Amino acid sequence: MNGPRKFSDRESALPPLDTELELTFRDPAGELRLAKGCALRRIRAAAEEETRAFLESPLRKTLERSGDLISSRIAEPGSHSCISSGEFWLEHPRIDPISYPWEWTTAQWRAAAELTLRVASQAIDAGWTLKDATPLNILFSGPHPILVDVLSFERRDPHSSVWLAYGQFVRTFLLPLLAAKYLSWPLQATLFARDGYEPRQIYEALPRWRRMNPKLLDVVTLATVFERPGQRRAASKKTPSTTDPALARHVLQKRIARLGRQIRHAAGERGHSQWSRYEQTAGHYQAADVEEKQQFVKSALTRCQPRHVLDIGANTGTYSLLAADAGANVVALDSDSAALEQLWRTALDRNKPVTALVADIARPTPAAGWRNREHLSLLDRLNGRFDLVLMLAVVHHLILRHQLPLTHVADLCASLTQRWLLLEWVPPSDPMFQEWLRGRDDLYGHLTEHDLTRAFAPHFAVVDRAQLGNGRVLLLFDRIPV
Amino acid sequence: MSRVKLLQISSVALILLGAVLVFERPAYAYADPGTGLLAVQAAGSALVATGWYLRRKIYSLFRSVDAPRAESDEQSVAADGEDSPNP
Repeated sequence: MNGPRKFSDRESALPPLDTELELTFRDPAGELRLAKGCALRRIRAAAEEETRAFLESPLRKTLERSGDLISSRIAEPGSHSCISSGEFWLEHPRIDPISYPWEWTTAQWRAAAELTLRVASQAIDAGWTLKDATPLNILFSGPHPILVDVLSFERRDPHSSVWLAYGQFVRTFLLPLLAAKYLSWPLQATLFARDGYEPRQIYEALPRWRRMNPKLLDVVTLATVFERPGQRRAASKKTPSTTDPALARHVLQKRIARLGRQIRHAAGERGHSQWSRYEQTAGHYQAADVEEKQQFVKSALTRCQPRHVLDIGANTGTYSLLAADAGANVVALDSDSAALEQLWRTALDRNKPVTALVADIARPTPAAGWRNREHLSLLDRLNGRFDLVLMLAVVHHLILRHQLPLTHVADLCASLTQRWLLLEWVPPSDPMFQEWLRGRDDLYGHLTEHDLTRAFAPHFAVVDRAQLGNGRVLLLFDRIPV
Repeated sequence: MSRVKLLQISSVALILLGAVLVFERPAYAYADPGTGLLAVQAAGSALVATGWYLRRKIYSLFRSVDAPRAESDEQSVAADGEDSPNP
C-alpha cells in the first residue's frame, strides 16, 4: 500500500539549522534533539524494551508505509557526537519547517486530529494503544500531517476499555476547536495552553443556555459537573476493565468513532474572511495585469531555479503553487486563516510541497514553552533558509498598517533569503495604498519606488523589473554577497 | 454569660460547622479536571457495553447461534448508546 507522497525526504528538507537543539525533555521515556539533517531521539532504559517491540511490530511498518508515522532507524553509536556507547537512540528524517498547532488553520487541526484517531484505531486493532494524543506530536510535511512521536505507543491491556489519552485528546484537540466554534477563541491562543483547555474553562465561558447543547454536553458540561478533587481519583487508581477482550476493543473503537464525529462537527465549515475572496474581488487588477504578473513570476522562477521558497502574504496561494509547480518546496505565510485554508486544501488535493502557516510577518510567532526553548520562534525557523522570498503586495501593509520603515523591511528580507527576493511595489496612487493611507499623506504619500530600492540597496541589487498596467511594479532583487 | 446563651451559641456554631462540611466544595485549584473526562469516558463505556450485551441477548432470542459478529456491531451504530449526545 502506498500512502500519499510525503516531503520529509532529506533532499527536500530545508537547509539544517546550524545549532543542535534539545526540543523535548518532558517525556520520561526519552528526549528529542534536532541535529544537522536529522532528528535524534534518545530512548531511556525504562522505555527501551517497549520501543524495540514497537519498532519490530507490523503496526509500525503499516503506519510508516501509509505515511502516517515518521520513519525511524536505530542510530549507530558514534554516528553523532551526542550518542555515547550503550545508549539507545533513534534517527528520524527532519521535517522542516516545524509548524506548531497555533499556526494551523481549522482544517489542518481537523486533519491532525483525524490522523491521531486513525492511528489510535489501528493501534487498538493491533494490540497497541496511543498513550499520548496531542497536536504537538503532529507536524505537517508539506500539506500532509504526520505523527512524529514513536514513544507514544505502548502495548494494550486487552481487557481494558479505557483509552488513557482520551482526556488529553479532548483537552488539546476537541476543546480548542469547540472554543473556536462556539466562543470565537482563536486557535492561535493555544500558544498559551500547552495542555489544551480544561472543560471548566469552556463551561464558564459559555452562556447558560448553550451548556445544554448536545454537542457540548458530555465533554464540557458533564465533564465539569463530574470534576472531583485529585485525591479521590488517586484512591481509586485502578482503571475500569472488562473481562471480554472483544467488548473492550468494541468500546474503544466506538469511542474513537464518536470523537471523530465530534471533531468533524467542531471543525465544520467556516465563513469567508476579508482576504479569502480577495483575488476574485480585486477590482484594482485587470485580467491583463494578472497575466503579466504571473508571467513575471514564472520567468523569475525559471531564472532563479529555487529549491526553497518563502511566500509572505500568500493569500490563497496562486504564487506558492506556481513555485511548487516549478519544483520548489514552499512555505506559505498569511495571517488570514480562511485564505490560507484554501491554499492548504489545494496543495493537499494536488499533492504539492507547500507548508501553510498562519502567521503575521509583522508580529511573528514568538518562542514559547519552558525557558522559551521548547517551541522556536517563527523567525528562528525561517531565517536564512530560502533561495527565494516572495513579497507580493506586502510592503505597503508593513508600512501603512504596522508603521515599519522600509530599511527595517529590507533587513528582514536580507535575513530570510540567501539569494533572491521578488517584491511587488504598490505605489501611493494605488487604491489599496490609499485605503490604508487614512489621511497620513504627509508621512507616507510621498513614497516612491526609488525610496524602496534605495532602502534595499545595502542588501540587494535589482536585476529585473516590470511595471503593470495598474501602476504596480514587480522587482526581482539579487542579494549582494556580504 | 448564662448557660442557656452558651448553649445557643454552641448550637449555632455546630450547625454552621455541619453546613460547611455538608456543602463543602473543593477549591478549584486543587480539583483534578481529568476526573470529569474520566467519568464521561466511563459512562460512555457503560452505555456502549449495555448496547453490546442487549444486542447479544436480543440476537440470541431469534437465532440459535451465540452472538453477532464484530462487523454487524460496527454497522448497527444507531442502536448504540454511544451515539446519543451524551456520555
